Amino acid sequence: MTFVAAIVAWKAISLFFYPVFFPGPAVLLERMAEVYGNPGSYAIFGQTLARIFEGFVISMLLGTALGLVMGLKRSVEAFFDSWIMVLLTVPSICWAFLSVLWFGISETAPILTIVLIVFPYVSMNIWAGTKAIQRDLVEMGQVYKADRALMLRKVLIPQLMPYIFSSLRIALSLSWKIALVAEAFGVGSGVGQQLTYWFQETRVDMMLAWGVSFMIVMVLIDLLVFRTWARRTFAWRPEVAV
Amino acid sequence: MTAQHAYNAQRSATAPIIAGRDVRAGGAAGASAITIEGLTKKFPAPGAEQDFVVLHEISLSVDEGKFVSIVGPSGCGKSTLLNVIAGIERYDSGAVAVHPRSDRAAREPRIGYVFQSPRLLNWLTVENNIHFVLEAQNVPRSRWRDLVAKNLEMVGLAGQERNYPLNLSGGMQQRVAIARALAIEPDILLMDEPFSHLDAITARKLRFDLMEILQRAKPTILFVTHDLSEAVFLSDSIYMMSTKPARIFKRVAIDIPRPRRPEDSEIFDLEKTLTRDFFSVVEASG
Amino acid sequence: MAGRLEDIALRVASIAVLLLFWWAAAAAINDSQVLPGPWAVAQTIVQDFGTPGPEGESAFFDIGITLARIFIAFAASMVAGIGIGLAMGLNRACERALLAVIPLMLTMPTILMVFLAIMWFGYSQAGALVAVMAVVTPFVAVNMFEGTRAMDKSLAQMGTTFRASRSLLLRKIYLPQLMPYIFSAFRYAFGQTWKIVALAETFGLKFGIGYMFFFWFQQFNIAQTLAWVMMFVILMLALEHLVFARLESRAFAWRSASSAQGGR
Repeated sequence: MTFVAAIVAWKAISLFFYPVFFPGPAVLLERMAEVYGNPGSYAIFGQTLARIFEGFVISMLLGTALGLVMGLKRSVEAFFDSWIMVLLTVPSICWAFLSVLWFGISETAPILTIVLIVFPYVSMNIWAGTKAIQRDLVEMGQVYKADRALMLRKVLIPQLMPYIFSSLRIALSLSWKIALVAEAFGVGSGVGQQLTYWFQETRVDMMLAWGVSFMIVMVLIDLLVFRTWARRTFAWRPEVAV
Repeated sequence: MTAQHAYNAQRSATAPIIAGRDVRAGGAAGASAITIEGLTKKFPAPGAEQDFVVLHEISLSVDEGKFVSIVGPSGCGKSTLLNVIAGIERYDSGAVAVHPRSDRAAREPRIGYVFQSPRLLNWLTVENNIHFVLEAQNVPRSRWRDLVAKNLEMVGLAGQERNYPLNLSGGMQQRVAIARALAIEPDILLMDEPFSHLDAITARKLRFDLMEILQRAKPTILFVTHDLSEAVFLSDSIYMMSTKPARIFKRVAIDIPRPRRPEDSEIFDLEKTLTRDFFSVVEASG
Repeated sequence: MAGRLEDIALRVASIAVLLLFWWAAAAAINDSQVLPGPWAVAQTIVQDFGTPGPEGESAFFDIGITLARIFIAFAASMVAGIGIGLAMGLNRACERALLAVIPLMLTMPTILMVFLAIMWFGYSQAGALVAVMAVVTPFVAVNMFEGTRAMDKSLAQMGTTFRASRSLLLRKIYLPQLMPYIFSAFRYAFGQTWKIVALAETFGLKFGIGYMFFFWFQQFNIAQTLAWVMMFVILMLALEHLVFARLESRAFAWRSASSAQGGR
């Protein structure tokens, strides 16, 4: 119901503007059809997806590892905390520019940008998760002499799952947005570059068409991968009903 | 020093007696499962004059197959004592020895532990919770299925293998914790006020069931509680503990034959006598 | 308090190591157009505070303006995000309604938001605020929502049996359990806000750190470019220590007994 209401409101507002400035639903759909209809678009999608995927995977691996170690060893936390802070505070646009400056127009630049921004966030999230681990369950494991590997597998990581999960979703979400920023300012190819091009041509309709088309691709990935996985992983948890 | 887990194949001498009557009214001297002498543990207290003494010169022993309780008020270090025996906490002086069962091959003793709260891994099924400790204790996989079935049946939860802990009541969760502890076929079973978080009816039922389990499995049990009547009902002997500092001040043997009923007048009378002694010391030390 | 000292020592060491890496890399590359060393950048920073900028303003002004923009946008986004996330977690109807919209908001890329905000609101403060809220609020809401799903059901029930009012339940039972989620959302939201404001400033908002960054980048003055990046970083780190660290220890005092690191 809310969805339909939103569409109607949208159409109403768009009547006050030129379609290239504020496209209504019908116009946007038309432009999107153009994008999807053109086979060249998929090559462009592919370029961006490849960069996203690489950046995302590297970030998750590095971030989870670091977050875990930081949470379990105080000395590591104290040491890397500031590095992560530094990484988290540099705006993506800065990294985008600097990466291009140092690595030129290449695949490395956007991937590096993604990793530099996403992996600290994952570390922080996982680290926060380790702080929430229940000591009494760890103690139980110690009493029964569970070794490190078994503790990790059955006691520590399951408690981290909600955090790993929210990290995964947000990391992917961040990765592709950063990919677009990196592409917009440095790489000269991919969906991000399309966005900048149409921005400069002041064509909101085409810019939105490309943006939304790609968004849909990412949403499909999110739905297919995460929704089903969440249901299975968290089957043991009763809802907080109201 | 960490807890020394000694093991020997021969029977050791009868445990030293601190106070009270001799337990064995005949029969051969029993092997000792747990022997503690002069155990002391302190927490460093920066700023205070002296360190905070958690355990002061604790000496006790538990013979194989016996059920021994430690009764004391909350916070007097009983849990710490169990943790030291289980090997997860250090101590400052004294000797702690835990021996595996004399009728088994000599090796590291297996210690089962039932906590106040079930401490189950809520994301694992009941059977996987038991598998967890079996894996931790390196029990061969081929035996897992039988051990799970047998022990769940023993605690009255046959058929609950695939259920999740959060779908079980508190009493049932604690039963799973007991089944988990027994599944590793422990040399000794440590129990830290396992029924104190349960309602009286469930607790009473579980105590009965524990009695029955004892008849069948005959584990060595060191049981900690603040409830004197519970201790009298369940134990072969009781150590009374007071706080500030935590020390053992009395040992009493309970000769009443099993199976026991809580309504037995013998139990009631004994409890009355002990209650006076117990509370007079405990309340005095505050 | 050996632990505390060790902490500080490690933090100092880590910054030292970072500076060392930078210095080594700069020396190796040996081209100040590509990577000036830390000393050169430090000198540039000092210079900046003495000389007026391209519009005749002082460095303090640029920094101040950026900070103001960030705080307003951050506060607005956090409040909105926490409110929405809670509403979603506690009310099924809210969850259903917003679950239709939030994924949409979440998936809109930052750059698209900023472009749209600029195209629709022009190069203005309002545009920057809208862009930030559109990006940050949904993230915070989702984090909160995940948090409500992970809450301990029995505690809420306990509160209800004591006839706790909605507001009491909220303050004493829900919020403390949600603190880890609020907290990681906090840090993330702040970082994102900063970056979007920087992005918007880079695009042509007048004044501010982002504006200076881009100005010098276009002049190919890498030392100045890095100088302004460093100013971002130092400012943020200062905020982190003065504000967030203090907040965290207050919020999590009840948890010290049961953390995984333990005291022993």
